[in-house]
Amino acid sequence: MKHVRTHRAASPWLFLLPGLATVTAFSLYPFLTTLHKAFTDALTLTPGAWVGLRNFRDMAHDEQFWVALRNSGLYVVLVVPFTVLLPLLLALLVQKRIPGVTFFRSAFYTPVVASSVVVALIWGWMLDDRGLVNGILRVLGAGPFAFLGDEWLLLFSAMALTVWKGLGYYMVIYLAALAHVPRELYEAAAVDGAGALRRFTAVTVPAVRSTMALVGALSSVAAFKVFSEVFLLAGPTGGPAGQDTTLVMLVQRTGTGLNGRVGYSSALSLVVFAVALLLMLLVLRADRTRRPE
Amino acid sequence: MPIPRRAAAATVPLLVSALTLTACGSGGTDSGGGDAGGKPEGDITFQTWNLRSNFKDYFTGLVAEFEKANPGVRVKWLDQPADNYADKLSADAAAGTLPDVVNVSPDLSYPLAKAGLLMNLDKEPAAAEFKGEYTPEAWQGNALPGLGGSYSFPWYLNTGPLFYNKALFRQAGLDPEKPPKNYGELFAAARTIAERSGGRTATLGGTPAVEDFGRYGVRLMNGDATRFTYNEPKGVELLTEYKKLYDLGGLDPQSLTNTPDKTGQKFLEQKVAMNPGSAHDLENFKKNAPGLYRELGITDAPNNTGKPNMYVMGLGVSSRSKHKAAAVAFARFVTDRKNQEAFAHKVAVFPSTKGSLDDPYWTKDDGTDEGRVRVASAKMLKGAVNYTPVVLSEEMKTVLKNEVAKALQGKKTPQRALDDAVAQSDKLLKQG
Repeated sequence: MKHVRTHRAASPWLFLLPGLATVTAFSLYPFLTTLHKAFTDALTLTPGAWVGLRNFRDMAHDEQFWVALRNSGLYVVLVVPFTVLLPLLLALLVQKRIPGVTFFRSAFYTPVVASSVVVALIWGWMLDDRGLVNGILRVLGAGPFAFLGDEWLLLFSAMALTVWKGLGYYMVIYLAALAHVPRELYEAAAVDGAGALRRFTAVTVPAVRSTMALVGALSSVAAFKVFSEVFLLAGPTGGPAGQDTTLVMLVQRTGTGLNGRVGYSSALSLVVFAVALLLMLLVLRADRTRRPE
Repeated sequence: MPIPRRAAAATVPLLVSALTLTACGSGGTDSGGGDAGGKPEGDITFQTWNLRSNFKDYFTGLVAEFEKANPGVRVKWLDQPADNYADKLSADAAAGTLPDVVNVSPDLSYPLAKAGLLMNLDKEPAAAEFKGEYTPEAWQGNALPGLGGSYSFPWYLNTGPLFYNKALFRQAGLDPEKPPKNYGELFAAARTIAERSGGRTATLGGTPAVEDFGRYGVRLMNGDATRFTYNEPKGVELLTEYKKLYDLGGLDPQSLTNTPDKTGQKFLEQKVAMNPGSAHDLENFKKNAPGLYRELGITDAPNNTGKPNMYVMGLGVSSRSKHKAAAVAFARFVTDRKNQEAFAHKVAVFPSTKGSLDDPYWTKDDGTDEGRVRVASAKMLKGAVNYTPVVLSEEMKTVLKNEVAKALQGKKTPQRALDDAVAQSDKLLKQG
């Protein structure tokens, strides 16, 4: 006991030490290194020299950067509304205590645990010009559509994959939130004559609004940082003529390999970080301003 | 003055973290040790590229044989998967842990050599003395422009035949026994296949890569490899022909994004009529597409220069190796005539040692498909060149592919697309 008392001040730090060391080594240090490299012309095998803002100026003149920024931005604008609303509707469906609902809960969650690579490969086969989807469309007298050959169809296909894969994850978050909504509110609304839609807008949405903001913030950042879905469907070149490249794909393309432009890639990473942070702050702030005092 | 306990407690984690972090960057500037011409001794590491799964016994035996002949040397064999090999090398190089003997292709050895991490074999007498054991083309294939020498012992060579689907040729009214030999014939055949199939059957699954420009006779770079030149009129002519073919449906609809794996799959599914490959593919066709295998035609890749393309593998020696004599001796041992020929009997690759390809194994057709491909490929290798410039990085390949795609889509003229690709690649070359 005496020993413990002697080191009372140090004890919390000792408990924190493993976590602090991990965060410092794997988050803080890489971040600081990236911050420094962003202002150098470092390559994979050479440390490089300080070049000030040159990497950011180069970025402004890099056609691929603007294409990537557009695609990552579009991903946020088009994917986030679906990842905020659809999982809520799914959660409402599977929240009901009906026979077999456990099966559906598990089924909706399966894509979350499935490997992104495997899922993207399966989608790739389905969306091929002679794949399952085009086969069905052909029977219906439509198509074929170049889901993997047209830059826009490819990007929308990747977005659909992202939404589908994220549904289960966000559904579980909503299920936890819905469990805390008092049943009496629904009963009172029903007694007052509110229909299903009215109960949804007047009871469910206000009750889970904070969770919606959280899901919005999480999915905005995830959408802006999208990589694997687009990379696997569009290929390493980023779709036809690189028109489906996203910012993180550009970071990967420019910064890896033996000839990697680490300085430029780090500058791109900083832009991704800054925009993702801004998105998160905006969503959370929007929630705070709407919340009644 | 004693340090306050609270401050000391706060310092501990920071200190530990700092120590952990500084350990990450301790690659140092050690320029290695030992005399490459001395007696081979010490522990060395040897890294291959995706060879353990199929050739474990061969390499284990090779290492044991070398250690027996050189009792003072111990070799630790490492193998890396095929994917992201360049990233693995760059991580090793940055950490100062590049293996003593490392499997590299010329495009991988270039940045390593440029950073001073590989030994210049031409300038190291203990290594240069073996130069005469390899074919001049193979030794030259590992020479790096601007760096004054060759940086890897030539190892195995490969060249790809072009496979074609005789049934699809027949359906288009083409003679399946007369496949196209040059690009003019290829374009004519592709046009016929596209027209007769109403655009349903593509001839090729991918867009032209830098090797195609080389085989078409386009000058890819200037003499001292400081500037790309594939936007010259001949390059524009090739891309213009591809554009016409793309519009006709001669290229797969997904050709702008297809990877070699995907085009291989499409050929397997009989969706495209021709596909470059290697003798490895025969087993795959036999097993997974017996219908295709029965209709399989094998020919040389189209060529307008008379010089086929060749892929070169080599073994580099780390300039920072602590046991250079052992590393040089082992790299030479793995790549000597006896061992190269033994390895090439196990897998469909070709030895780069002088005289090896005159052996009946590579000159006499034994009547099997494998034998036919082997003899045809070995014949092609005589006089073959590595068209891919060693300074061409992955990013530059992506630039070319994307600009070619813009030309095929009609977003840019072929001239403009190639001018832009050359400008971007030249810029990257200067930065590198």
